Order: sequence, then C-alpha cells, then structure tokens
Amino acid sequence: MADADLDFTTGDAGASSTFPMQCSALRKNGFVVLKMRPCKIVEMSTSKTGKHGHAKVHMVGIDIFSGKKYEDICPSTHNMDVPNIKRNDYQLIGITDGFLSLLMDNGDVREDLRLPDSDLGKEIESKYEAGEEMLITVLSAMGEEAAVAIKAMTK
Amino acid sequence: MMAAVGAAEVITQLESAAKVLMAPPSMVSNEQRQHAEHIFLSFRKSKSPFAVCKHILETSKVDYVLFQAATAIMEAVVREWILLEKSSIESLRTFLLTYVLQRPNLQKYVREQILLAVAVIVKRGSLDKSIDCKGIFHEVSQLISSGNPTVQTLACSILTALLSEFSSSSKTSNIGLSMEFHGSCKRLFQEEDLRQIFMLTVEVLQEFSRRGNISAQMSSVFQRYLALASQVLSWNFLPPNLGRHYIAMFESSQNVMLKPTESWRETLLDSRVMELFFTVHRKIREDSDMAQDSLQCLAQLASMHGPVFPDESAQVNYLARLVEGLLGMINGIEIEDSEAVGISNIISNLITMFPRSNLTAIPSELFNSFVNCLTHLTCSFGRSAALEEVLDKDDMVYMEAYDKLLESWLTLVQDEKHFHKGFFIQHAVQVFNSYIQCHLAAPEGTRNLTANGVASHEEEEINELQEDDRELFSDQLASIGMLGRIAADHCIPLLTSLLEDRVTRLHGQLQRHQQHLLASPGSGSVENKVLDDLYEDIHWLILVTGCLLADETQGETPLIPPEIMEYSIKHSTEVDINTTLQVLGSPGEKTSSIPGCNRTDSAIRLLSSVLRTSEVESRATRANLTDLLSPQMGKDIVWFLKRWSKTYLLVDEKLYDQISIPFSAAFGADTEGAQWIVGYILEKVINNLSVWSSEPDLANDTVELLVTLVERRERANIVIQCENWWNLAKQFANRTPPLHSLSSSVQRTLMKALVLGGFAHMDSETKQQYWTEVLQPLQQRFMNVINQENFQQICQEEEVKQEIIATLEALCGIAEATQIDNVVILFNFLMDFLNNCIGLMEIYKNTPETVNLIIEVFVEVAHKQICYLGESKSMKLYEACLTLLQVYSKNNLGRKRVDVSAEEDQYQDLLLIMELLTNLLSKEFIDFSDTDEVFRGQEPGQAADRSVSAADVVLYGVNIVLPLMSQDLLKFPSLCNQYYKLITFICEIFPEKIPQLPDDLFKSLMFSLELGMTSMSSEVSQLCLEALTPLAEQCAKAQETESPLFAATRHFLKLVFDMLVLQKHNTEMTVAAGEALYTLVCLHQAEYSELVESLLSSQQDPVIYQRLADAFNKLTASSSPPTLDRKQKMAFLKSLEEFVATVGGLLCVK
Repeated sequence: MADADLDFTTGDAGASSTFPMQCSALRKNGFVVLKMRPCKIVEMSTSKTGKHGHAKVHMVGIDIFSGKKYEDICPSTHNMDVPNIKRNDYQLIGITDGFLSLLMDNGDVREDLRLPDSDLGKEIESKYEAGEEMLITVLSAMGEEAAVAIKAMTK
Repeated sequence: MMAAVGAAEVITQLESAAKVLMAPPSMVSNEQRQHAEHIFLSFRKSKSPFAVCKHILETSKVDYVLFQAATAIMEAVVREWILLEKSSIESLRTFLLTYVLQRPNLQKYVREQILLAVAVIVKRGSLDKSIDCKGIFHEVSQLISSGNPTVQTLACSILTALLSEFSSSSKTSNIGLSMEFHGSCKRLFQEEDLRQIFMLTVEVLQEFSRRGNISAQMSSVFQRYLALASQVLSWNFLPPNLGRHYIAMFESSQNVMLKPTESWRETLLDSRVMELFFTVHRKIREDSDMAQDSLQCLAQLASMHGPVFPDESAQVNYLARLVEGLLGMINGIEIEDSEAVGISNIISNLITMFPRSNLTAIPSELFNSFVNCLTHLTCSFGRSAALEEVLDKDDMVYMEAYDKLLESWLTLVQDEKHFHKGFFIQHAVQVFNSYIQCHLAAPEGTRNLTANGVASHEEEEINELQEDDRELFSDQLASIGMLGRIAADHCIPLLTSLLEDRVTRLHGQLQRHQQHLLASPGSGSVENKVLDDLYEDIHWLILVTGCLLADETQGETPLIPPEIMEYSIKHSTEVDINTTLQVLGSPGEKTSSIPGCNRTDSAIRLLSSVLRTSEVESRATRANLTDLLSPQMGKDIVWFLKRWSKTYLLVDEKLYDQISIPFSAAFGADTEGAQWIVGYILEKVINNLSVWSSEPDLANDTVELLVTLVERRERANIVIQCENWWNLAKQFANRTPPLHSLSSSVQRTLMKALVLGGFAHMDSETKQQYWTEVLQPLQQRFMNVINQENFQQICQEEEVKQEIIATLEALCGIAEATQIDNVVILFNFLMDFLNNCIGLMEIYKNTPETVNLIIEVFVEVAHKQICYLGESKSMKLYEACLTLLQVYSKNNLGRKRVDVSAEEDQYQDLLLIMELLTNLLSKEFIDFSDTDEVFRGQEPGQAADRSVSAADVVLYGVNIVLPLMSQDLLKFPSLCNQYYKLITFICEIFPEKIPQLPDDLFKSLMFSLELGMTSMSSEVSQLCLEALTPLAEQCAKAQETESPLFAATRHFLKLVFDMLVLQKHNTEMTVAAGEALYTLVCLHQAEYSELVESLLSSQQDPVIYQRLADAFNKLTASSSPPTLDRKQKMAFLKSLEEFVATVGGLLCVK
C-alpha cells in the first residue's frame, strides 16, 4: 500500500524508499525502519548473552510521522532498513479547507498536504492569517509526508 | 517570664501539629501537613525560646514535640550566643543533662537530640573558654562506675555525642561557624578530652573482658563502648599547622590512618592496650556486629604511625607485638565470613604503614610466619571469593578481602630489595597458582564449581555498561602479574603450557564443528559448553599474560619489566635464537612440532602462544566459523597485542642497562622479526575490521591497536612499508564495505590512524603518494559532489547525503590526529574544507543531523588545533567560525520545528555552538603557539591585521545563543552548565566588551547572571558570583557612573549582600560571594552604607542592634576606605568569615 503511494506522491519513481545498513552502523538520532514505520532512533544499546556471546542491538525508535514508539532487538550483524529521508522547503501561499497550498521550485502549486493537526499547524494558520510569509519544511519518507518546520521569510 | 505566659498555648499548638505530622498519609491533607511543618519551623526560629522549651520538656508527653524543643534550644543557643549570659548557658547545659539522667525511658531519638544539644553547647563554648569540658567528664565517669547498665549506656551516648560533634566538619552540626573554628576546637579536643574518652572506654572494656558470663543487657553496653573505642581510634588527627583550605580536604579523606599526636604516646604504646583489643576480639568474634568493631580497632592500631613513636626501636617493638598478636589470633581458628574483611584490613594497614626496615627488623622467624600466614590467607580468600561469584552473592566479603590482600602483596614486593633475593618466590608461586586454578575450568581448575564440586553454568544477559574483566579486575590482575614476574621461572612456562594446550584444544574443537557442519549443513545449534569453557580459560590466561609481561601506562613509553628482562637474560645461554625466531614466526604451527622448541626464549614463547590463539581465530573466520567464535576472546587478543607492542616492539636499547639478546634479535629495531610482527598485527587488524564490524567493542579495541602502531614514529616507519597498510588506506578512501559499515566512532579513529601514519619517515615522493591515496580522494570526492550543477536539487538524495556525512566524519577523525608536529599540514588541509562546510550549512539548513555534524567538525578543529595556532592562523579560524555563526543565525531566525526526539537532543545544535565558543575561548588559557612558530616559513611575512578577534566571534555567538536560551532550556543540565560556563568565561576574559553589548543583549546577560546566582545549582551560582568580580572591576576602571553596567552592579550589590547576610548559604560559596561583595562595595560605597543602615534600623532590640553595628564596623575596619587592593581584599575576606560566624545566625531569624 505504501509503495503505491510512493510513486504517486513523490514523483521519483524507481528510487527505493529504503536502503539496508548493518545494525552496528546505525546511530542514535539517525533513522531506521521499525515495524514497517520510518523511525528516528532515540535510544540504542548493545548487550550479549554470556561473556562470550555475540552483540545484539536494542533500539527504541519514534515514528517520525505519528510519534508512536517502537522497539526492536536484533543481532548486530543483521541488516536493517533505513528510510530515505527528504526535506524540502516550499513557500506557503494559501490554506484551503485544512490543506496547504505550497509553491514548488518549478512554479507549480501543490495543494495535497494537510495542515498538521498540532501546535505547529496552529502556528502556521495564525501566522498565515497575520499575513506573514513563510517557508514550510516538508519531510518525506516511505511515501508519507508532513510539514515539520516553518521559517519566516526574510525579505 | 514573657515566654512562659503563652507556654500552655504553644504546647497545645505544637502537640496538635505533631499529631498531624505523625498521622498516616491518608488521614491528613497536604496542606495540613505543610501547615504543621511550618508551625515547627517558625517555632524553631522564634527568639529566645529557652523558657518555653524547658517548659515543654518538663510537661509535654509527645516525643516529637520534645525532639523539636531540643532542636530549638540547640539552634537558638548558637544563634543568640553573643546575647546570652555565660551563667545561663551553663545552667541550660546542666538542665539538659539532668533532664536526660532523670528520664531513663526517653525515646532514643529524643535523648540523642538532647545530648547533641549538650555537645553543641560544649563545643561552641570551647571557643569562649567559658565552658569547661572537664566537668562533663567527671560526671560521666561517675555514671560509668555506677554499674547500672542503663546509666552506663547513657554515659556512652554522651561521649559519642561529644566525639562526633568535635570530630569533623562533615559530621558536625551546621552551626554556621568557619572551618577554622571547627579546626581549632578539634585540635584542643584531640589533645586532652579525646584521650580521656579513650581511657574511660578502655576501662569499661577491661572490666568486661575480665567477666565470664555476660548478660544480654551487659553485652549491649559492651558493644556500645566497643563501637566508641573504634570511633576514637579512627579519629582523623588534625596536624597542628593546616590552612583552612586544607582542613576541608583533609576532613574528607576516607580510610583514616591512626596518626596520634605525641601526647598519646604513653596511652597507646602501653602493651596492655593492644592486648586488650586482641582479647576482646577473641571473646566476641562469633558475634558478627561486634567483631566488626573489634577488628576495626585492631586495623586502626595496625595503621599507627607518626610522632607517637619516640624512635625506631619503639616502632619495631610495637610492630612485633602486633604481628605476634595477629598470628596468635588467627592460628588455629576457622575464620568466620564476617572476619575476612577486618583481618585483611589489619594486614593491609600494617604493610602499608610500617616501613620495610621495620618489617625486616622484627625477629626473622616471626616475619616468616607472618608471610606464610599471609600466603595461606590470600589463597584461601581467593577460593572463597570464587565461590561467592558462583553463588552470585550480593555481599562479596571474600572478594573484598582478597582484593585487599593482593594489594598488600603488591606493596610488599615492590621494595623487594629490602628482603634477601628470592625471598618471596615460593609465596608468589602459591598465590599465582591458586589464582590460575580458580580461573580455569575443571578438571585442572575449579572455576564455577560450588563447594561440593558441582559445576554451575549460567548464561546471563550482559549489557554494554558492564565493565570488561580487564577493567573490573585490573587491580587483582596487576598484583597477580607482579607476583608472576617475581616467580617468572615458574609462572611463564606455566602460562605458556596452559595456553598452548587450550589453543590446541580450541583448534581441534573448531575443526570438529566444521566437519560436523560440512557433513550436515544447517543442522541447528551446537552444544557450546566445551567451546565456552575454552574461551573463558583463554580469556583469563591472556589477561594474566598481558599483565605479567607488560605494564599499562598513559602517555609515556612503558619499559620492559626488569624481572622479565633479567629472566630472559639469565636463560639466554640455553636459548637458540633461530629456533626462537621460528617459533615466533610460525603461529600456524603447533609449537611442539617445531624441532628443538624447548630451546625457545620463554618470554617470546609465551607471546607466540597468544599469537597462536590469534591465528586460530583468524583461520576460523576464514573458514566461516565466525559465529562460533568469542568476540570477547577477540578483544583479549587485540588488547594484549596493544599492550605488548607498546612495551616490546622495536625495543629501544638506550633505555636499558642490559638487554636480552633474544629480545633484541626478535623485535629490536631493524630486525626482520619486528617487521614480521608489524605485518602480522596489521593483517589481524584488517581481518578484524572486516569480520568483526558488527562487534562495536572489538572493532574499537582493534582500531586502538592500529593507533598504537602508528602513534610512535619508529613503529609507523615500519607500518607504512607494508602493502597491507596502503590497501587499507585505499579501501577506506573508496568507502567500500566492510569498512564503511563500521560505527562512526570507529571510522573516525581509523581516519585518525591513517593520518598519523602519514607522518612516518618517507621520501618525499612516497609521502606525496601517500597523501594522494589518503587525503586527496576525500577532497576529490567531496568536490565532485558539491560542484555538481544540480547539487541543490540532489542534495537530499540518500547517496549524496551519505557521501557528505562520510566526509564530515572523516574530517572529525583528521582533527583528532592533530599533534604539534603535524598541525601545519592538517590545519591547512582542514581550512579548505571548513569554508566549503559553511556552504553546506546553507544547503542543508533544514536537515538538523547534517547541520549538527558540520558544527561538530568546527568544534573538533577548534578543540584540537586552536592551542597550537599563531595569530594569523587563529584569525582564519575565527573568521570561518564567524561566518558559520552568521549562516547558522540567518537560518535559525524565525525557524520553528517539531521533532519527535527527546527534547534535549533537539537542542544539540545549541549545545555544539556553545561548545565551539568555549573551545575558542580556551585559547586564552591554553596556548602552545609561539607566534606562528610552527608555521614559520609557511606564509610570506604577512603582517597580521587583527580583523577578527576571539572576542568578536564569541560575542557574536553569544548574540545568537542568548535569545535562544529560554528559561525552559536551562532546565536541561547539559545546556545549563555549558551556558553558564560560557558566560562566566566571557565575563572573566572580556569584561571590557560587556558594556558595549547591544542593550537587549546586555539586559538578558545580566538577567541570566541573576537567575544563575539565585535559582540554579550551587555550582552555577558559584560561576555567576565569579563572573561579578571582573565586571565590577571593569566598572571601576571605566569610571562611567552612567553606564548600564554600573547600574547593574548596584543591583548585584544588594543581591550579594542579601545572600551573604540574610540568607542561609552554602559556606563553600562564602569566598566567591565575599570577593564579589568586596569589589561591589568598593564601587558603591554609599549604597553599601545605606544597605547597612536600613538593616540596622529595622532591628528593634537595642542589644542586637549594638552587636550588629559592632560586627559591621569590624567587617570593614581593616579596609576603609575600601579600595581594589589585594591586601585589603584578603583582610576583608577574613573578617567576613568571622562576621558570618558571629552574626550570620542572628539575621537569618525572621
């Protein structure tokens, strides 16, 4: 299901949405796919069974879109999927029915991104209503997208 | 009288408040509880509460109220001391003591509190010489002779209270007096009164030791006096001349050794005293509580030293009696578990404190028996410690005792020259053998065997925080290694044969597994018990071997231990060099299969047995048996190789009087042996990095080994001749697997090693080629990426991001490789990147993980290099940092982001920026540069025009950081500490820049200081106080009474004044606050007078008014008019301490 969305929304067909990485090379504050969800690693530790056992990696990740917490433990030789993360800045030109109108680099306007249902969303709305111009940082990974940051435009 | 009027009311109020406090939590609300607490708090602060308190003590039946009344008396006496008549203090003390005597059934905590009040009065009085201690001792000795156990117990409580009150500043009640006061009280006390307490105690113990049957009640009295004796003997005798700063340090020392003053000579050298404690211990040793105290007394007696001994013969006599008593006590008994630690303390103290010349001066038979006994105890405690480990006991008493004894051995044998040659060999052999036995599996060893010989084997989960055995047992291993050297003739061959045997078995076992796997692939898991036992055996054998052959040192070059050198030289006539080289150079073969292998140098054969272990491991990885191997063993091997290489590889003959021929032939400079070993180790490193990339600790130890190989130039010279090294460099530069799947810290260290290798001796062509292989590709790849036309568009693509991150990581590694002799090249190389990195900041402005890494590169470069940079180079770095900050600031202005990660991590960038600024400032403290000395000839006479200074960069940075540091962020300890460290630095280093700050910035800086002073941790508060002095001095220099800084300092004057005079504060802070206050007073004399006036005018009591006014006069007497003169300042600080001690308490009252 996620794959079908991917081609549709991001436009770079063929590019994989994830790539493999050996567990031991992952790092705290980096990203990983846990339970099919793109997560940011907030905790990472190793352990072993018995003094002569091999290392296992214990990871706690937070879903970058839903904020839900996931955990996993696996041998450190395993490869884990790492999501391709992209961030793009677009100028906000309007808000209609809870959707953002964003001006793309090529001049097109996209209107398919929801105003986030969060404090940031409220801030976008109030600043927009106050007539402030701003850039919206849109984070995309594994076929999902969300606005994650705003930056006032300097004139 | 006045107070007594409302006494009944007060009591009712207090009693009902006590009821609330004592009620179960469900019965009362939080507010009720707080209200009740408040009642007691204000009661204790009330003025002259003596009459009321007496009344309460006499009438109230509520224990808690009695307790509070005692506390109130104690606090008020100290507070109002200077207002009280001496006679009323005296009668108060008598009242309290009589009160306790007449009420034997008081609750313990009430009684102790009242006695504490008595002790505090006695102590406070000793300063005035107004209260005589002797009276108390007379009373107490009468109580003791009463023969009534209850009364005797009370007497003991009185003595204990006095003792702990006088003993040290940490145990003492906080009565707001200076360290000096505590110190002089203590000195007086320890000369006379303490000895009197000791004598009284000894009398009681003697009485008890003579008795046959002791009732339970008597026994408990006895126990108390025994505990008191142990406290007296653990007294930390304060030497006569110790400055106040040292007193605190001195007092905090643990494990006090008994160093009484001369006046104790007669008492403590009396042979009956020591005998008494041995007798006492024999009598009560089965009672584990009491035994602890009696053994503590003996351990303290065993640590006795100093002026108490009139001459050496007295000391020898004392020691002989001690050893005799000890042997008499131990021989023929079965030691109780509870005695182990105590007995080992006695031995350890004795060996540590008595000079070797004393030990050899006691009768030799006695000394021999002592060493035999020590040997026996060590082996036996070692076995018991192993049992404790098997049973996984919480309380490892034997392990603790064993540690102590092994440490004692180390102390004992370190000055072997005092004893005749070879004296300790047999003992060392025994202790060494028993250690090895406890660590090997059955049948040779007893590891994991319970007392009745049952094997226990459990696989537990081990997390990364658990220390490796080599750290956990480093002290034990150091001692065993030392004993092994002493008995090298026995221990080296023993280790060699054990290790060779285990390696052969491991090899066989792995082969069987391989055949099994080939015969039935994928046949599930194999029984690993045999392998695990072998790994554990090898693990311990390698650890012991490493500690026997070499020492661990930091920085300096470790020497080959003289015992090992002598051992090798002694046997060199029996050794055949060629065979030795052959054994060394063929780790793939069994030693015994090499003809004449018994003519190998034994120390080299021991090394080669570790290399054989390593070879079995490497071959197993090539046969795809990595899953069966132990990463722990892998770590042990590289740990050993690192330790060994530092000491033996390319041994520098100039450092030794004599050198073993086999050593210099096998791994001396310019030998094939040395080249072979370097090549072998390098191969090992490369193999490990590819097969063990998933084991973080092992990979880390492996790259550390690599750094060891190249960090010394002589070794690096050989390393760079190896083809493998160049391959490694190429492989790393290509970012191909497996190296690029190593963790980032390992990759950084690898980069560091590769850079260090480049400073080996090479002809210029080779050097050119080397840098082309190592550094150029880094630059090339980076340029290729960022110079692509569509870089802007593709910068978010994963491969591009990976490339960039790998480059940034490598830059951090390069910075880590900085040394004084390579900083020229590395700085120039890194500078090019830094400028490009700033461009990246712009591109990746919305990608925090990349931004953080870029700042980190700057942090690392500043951290490692700024101290070596001369003016013009520093300028370049400052400029780059300034640009970085500008870009950062532009991109973060008006940015708001949400992030799923933990809050503190979100502010990583801010933390890094502050770290960068602090690093830049550090040049003001640590500067090794000699006006571009290291860069001389590098730049064509370019006169440094000071375009940018550290101050500019840092203040610009503060401009960015300050508005972002909200009060919420200061709740994160890491951010808070870094922030205050930074602003204090700035105030101290550039006070002249502060007044020039923009208005709002200035305000928020001042606000930060105030906040830090008043509502942060005491550490931060101290930092802020330290920042005030230079600011005030700056004002005084500038003499601008209109400036905002001048106004701000006026405000701070009031804050510091209140803090010192009106609030309870940490005494540690008095100095910092005092310095700040003095400078501020100099600046604002009129305001200071106003503050004093208004404080005085608010006092209604004329007596208090007068005392306060006097105190304030005294405070400034030595420094009026106050000027910024060091001498005056010191005088002020001294008076301030007295001021705080005498009136500080008065003013804290509401």
